[in-house]
Amino acid sequence: MFESLKGFGVTFGTMFKKVVTEEYPEVKKVTAPRFHGRHQLNRHPDGLEKCVGCELCAWACPADAIFVEGGDNTEEARYSPGERYGMDYQINYLRCIGCGLCIEACPTRSLTMTNEYELADDNRQDLIFTKEDLLAPLLPGMEQPPHPMRLGNNETDYYVNGPQLAKEAGQ
Amino acid sequence: MGLEEKLPNGILLTSVEKLVNWTRKSSLWPATFGLACCAIEMMTTGGPRYDLARFGMEVFRASPRQADLMIVAGRVTNKMAPVLRQIYDQMPEPRWVLAMGVCASSGGMFNNYAVVQGVDHVVPVDMYLPGCPPRPEMLMDAILKIHAKIMDEPLNAVRAKALADSGYRTDLIPSSERFARKK
Amino acid sequence: MTIAPDKNSTELVVPEGHVKLVIDGVEVVAPKGELLIRTAERLGTVIPRFCDHPLLEPAGACRQCLVEVEMGGRPMPKPQASCTMTVADGMVVKTQLTSPVADKAQQGVMELLLINHPLDCPICDKGGECPLQNQAIAHGRSDSRFHEHKRTFPKPINISTQVLLDRERCVLCQRCTRFSAQIAGDPFIELLERGAQQQIGVAKEKPFQSYFSGNTIQICPVGALTSAAYRFRARPFDLVSTPSVCEHCSSGCAERTDWRRGKVQRKLAGDDPQVNEEWICDKGRFAFRYATADDRITRPMVRDAETGELRESSWTEALQVAAAGLLAARDANGVGVLTGGRLTVEDAYAYSKFARIALHTNDIDFRARPHSAEELEFLSGTTVFTNPDNGVTFQGIESAPAALLVAFEPEEEAPIVFLRLRKSARKGTTKVFHLGQFTTPAVEKTFGTLLACVPGAEANALNALPDHASDVVELLGKPGAVILVGERAAEIPGAFTAVARLAERTGAKVAWIPRRAGERGALAVGATPNLLPGGRHVANTAARTEVERTWGVEEGSLPANPGRDTTGILEAAANGQLSGLVVGGVDPFDLPDPALAEKALAQAGFVVSLELRPSAVTAHADVVLPIAPAVEKSGSYLNWEGRRREFGTTLEGTGALPDCRVLDTLAVEMDADLFTQTPAAAAADLARLGEGAPSGSSLNVAAPLQSPAGAGKAVLATWHRLIGNGSLQVDEPHLAGTARPVVAKVAEATAQQFGLETGGYVTVSTERGAITLPVETDDLPEGVIWLPTNSGDVTVRATLGAGHGSIVSVSGGKS
Repeated sequence: MFESLKGFGVTFGTMFKKVVTEEYPEVKKVTAPRFHGRHQLNRHPDGLEKCVGCELCAWACPADAIFVEGGDNTEEARYSPGERYGMDYQINYLRCIGCGLCIEACPTRSLTMTNEYELADDNRQDLIFTKEDLLAPLLPGMEQPPHPMRLGNNETDYYVNGPQLAKEAGQ
Repeated sequence: MGLEEKLPNGILLTSVEKLVNWTRKSSLWPATFGLACCAIEMMTTGGPRYDLARFGMEVFRASPRQADLMIVAGRVTNKMAPVLRQIYDQMPEPRWVLAMGVCASSGGMFNNYAVVQGVDHVVPVDMYLPGCPPRPEMLMDAILKIHAKIMDEPLNAVRAKALADSGYRTDLIPSSERFARKK
Repeated sequence: MTIAPDKNSTELVVPEGHVKLVIDGVEVVAPKGELLIRTAERLGTVIPRFCDHPLLEPAGACRQCLVEVEMGGRPMPKPQASCTMTVADGMVVKTQLTSPVADKAQQGVMELLLINHPLDCPICDKGGECPLQNQAIAHGRSDSRFHEHKRTFPKPINISTQVLLDRERCVLCQRCTRFSAQIAGDPFIELLERGAQQQIGVAKEKPFQSYFSGNTIQICPVGALTSAAYRFRARPFDLVSTPSVCEHCSSGCAERTDWRRGKVQRKLAGDDPQVNEEWICDKGRFAFRYATADDRITRPMVRDAETGELRESSWTEALQVAAAGLLAARDANGVGVLTGGRLTVEDAYAYSKFARIALHTNDIDFRARPHSAEELEFLSGTTVFTNPDNGVTFQGIESAPAALLVAFEPEEEAPIVFLRLRKSARKGTTKVFHLGQFTTPAVEKTFGTLLACVPGAEANALNALPDHASDVVELLGKPGAVILVGERAAEIPGAFTAVARLAERTGAKVAWIPRRAGERGALAVGATPNLLPGGRHVANTAARTEVERTWGVEEGSLPANPGRDTTGILEAAANGQLSGLVVGGVDPFDLPDPALAEKALAQAGFVVSLELRPSAVTAHADVVLPIAPAVEKSGSYLNWEGRRREFGTTLEGTGALPDCRVLDTLAVEMDADLFTQTPAAAAADLARLGEGAPSGSSLNVAAPLQSPAGAGKAVLATWHRLIGNGSLQVDEPHLAGTARPVVAKVAEATAQQFGLETGGYVTVSTERGAITLPVETDDLPEGVIWLPTNSGDVTVRATLGAGHGSIVSVSGGKS
């Protein structure tokens, strides 16, 4: 008799507690910063791509979700500092398990993961993200490649003193 | 369902269509098809913290006859595929399928002889949800996107043709944008 | 259960010419003169190395293979390079597995090599298949003790249009320089500078020009030499490697085709000691993009009756139209079949059977190039019955005391034959004689002797050999001597007769080395006017009956009279004696008379073309049927030795059909069964036929007397270059850049006679047309001018309608 009342007591008591239910669609859930969301291909401060098309991310990928084909930078069309850039870059989000091994493999910190997670779509084609979908948006001061190296004469300048040079260029 | 197929097209019917779709999307009852890790996230979504009941999805139905949304959560093996198909066939129309997680959507990292490379090899899929596993918010987002699609379902063949001819596709806006509180 | 072996039975017996030594505590017997590194390898101990290559002479350049050696109980004071040291009796060797000294030495060398090696593996094409990378990851230090600046060079530099050199990555192993100097004989790449600045380089004015430059890319143990065509295309982990056979020349080299996503990315040399060892030529390595050319035909096409234009159609419709047209043409005046020299054995067999069964004709010829009745007689009498067991082989060439090359330019026509000739000539085994017009690079590089003669007079020269060059005849009389005849011999009346006579006189073996991959196979399966498959003569009733029985056709249904050859077929089609043509991969501009071919195609009532890409035939074709390129089908080639070179499908599921399948279905529409639905089925059907009995040949064509060319005229010498305008070399700008310069060659005296300046231009003309090109002087006979047959703007057959031995007008300057 008393035991069952105790049970109702729990229910009754909960009515005065703070509601735990998330208000998800109205309020976007802020994930932990390390959450493995959608990928992003980063840029140098002048807008050149960081990706060198080395395919190490594709190599690391356990689900074989990444396809990369490198390309040759020329003086006329430069997409990244140095010789090589990622000409074709695709991530198949229907294969990607978000393990982050690609991020660890990336030698230029080009590939990182954002916290963006609302990815559901109604067809498989649109869930293969190409370079256009993955590239980071142009921030102020950035310029859409192809364009010549603005921050230095060679890739060493970019990798060794990139932020420094960007700061100087900004002034 | 039968009756609406016999009706002529008209101004009234577009409103009826909206009403019917609204009723359908407002009480979408999922049939569970929890197969692996994704099912844990799916169960969480039904729990109080995420409370799927807010969207009229009171309860996960173990009997397909009372369900109209199948959430395939987890990797489908070749052995499971006929079972999946049977459950789907037992569901009354109209019905929708949500492939939850990369394994259900495309086989994911299990690109091998045992796993079906996407449940769309077995049943028609209305929504693909990437993630391994997708977090509950992602599942809710996918369900809300399905709601948006249900709202655009044509009532009969004539409407379906008109919709197809116009080339209209439901805009799949991320739910946190679509339902964001107006400031 | 293992039983401990008896102590006595483990005592190693040392055979004659062998020595006994101890490696890592294990006793081994090795042949005298074997390098330590190989003996250890046979034992299962891999000593790391970069410079060592089994087919190159030892250099000891990289020092990575250091081991500890003890001789006669006394240890050598320092670790020794095992790639240069030969085995000796009583030697005690300790590799890195048992000796800390050897291990430390190897670690030290690795550290030294990495001092100047850049850490750019992510952008290096070799990354993932790099011996240095593997070695450094497996045994190297995890961090560097070298904090100074690395040596840098501007990178990369083009040492040819095809090969890029990155000097920073080079570890100076000298594999490339040794390959070029020893194997290819093109020493255009060399070590420059000294000390820390030592680097690989080329002379400024002379690019790295070699037909074998691609091999240096493959053997480079680091990413110093990379290919322009493959640059940044893929990574080895993502590539699927399929063994394949080269479709470009009659050598039939083993290759490895690397592809991903349904596209071939690169080709590498396969390892086949009996054929190509580990080398292939640049054409075989780099020319593969023709299969993905934009203009490739992928759908059948039918000429619309109303508009007169070709339009895409379904297979069913195209085959029905083709069958109806061919049946009508067959019942009118008959149909001729022209097959190019590019077909696999199985495809050629399908054409051969199709002509006999479906078209009831012997009018079939595979020779889409200058040809003669004498050649056919020679081929059907002797060549068709040669095989590696009874004829000349690559290894036969290597051990031959003498090789006489008749109308054959090995480097341009069969580069791997050239490499073998050079290999054996360099060892001093083979003395090479070239019966040609001038000292070509191949003559120099095979340490050969030129027997110069006027084009067309080769037969006379051969007949006169015993009188003028008795030493050559004497050498050819030694056992194992070989005579190699090229396809150009067909343009020289009497050449085959003279060769056969010389062979009879000396006992030397004769090999016919065509230029194209499919010619030898087409001959074997009877894609000729006078032969049925297996070398059976069509006029031989017994042979015909045998074939009829095996094919399951009515007795007496196979045509008994030899048919027309290529020119005969074209002439007949041009004047209405033939109503239709089936053309499979023939470029009319390779034919001796392109104008006649054009006329024949226009006049023929019904033309069916089986093609990969649009050609001059397509413009006249009534039905065009697309076929599969070599990478999308399986099959086999018969190389010039008669060796079957089988290969499987590289790219599966592209939907492209091999010729044999298309013909089989077409024949079914025409109510005949070929049983060649797949290459395997065709091969099995062919195998059931077996080989016929040699009927012997009666070669008796007199060598014509040479008449003087006349004033203002010269005799034309011409042959194809390896890299030129070939239809399988389209879409390859990097490869085309390595072609040799397009120049005419004349003798000094002839140049003066025609008033030609060195470095100036010459105009060569016939009544058909004229070609103007730069001129160079060389050691040609007087009154002779040499032109490349089909290179750059020079298209001898299309523009001049002339060939080897033709008389042409020559005038100086630009016209």
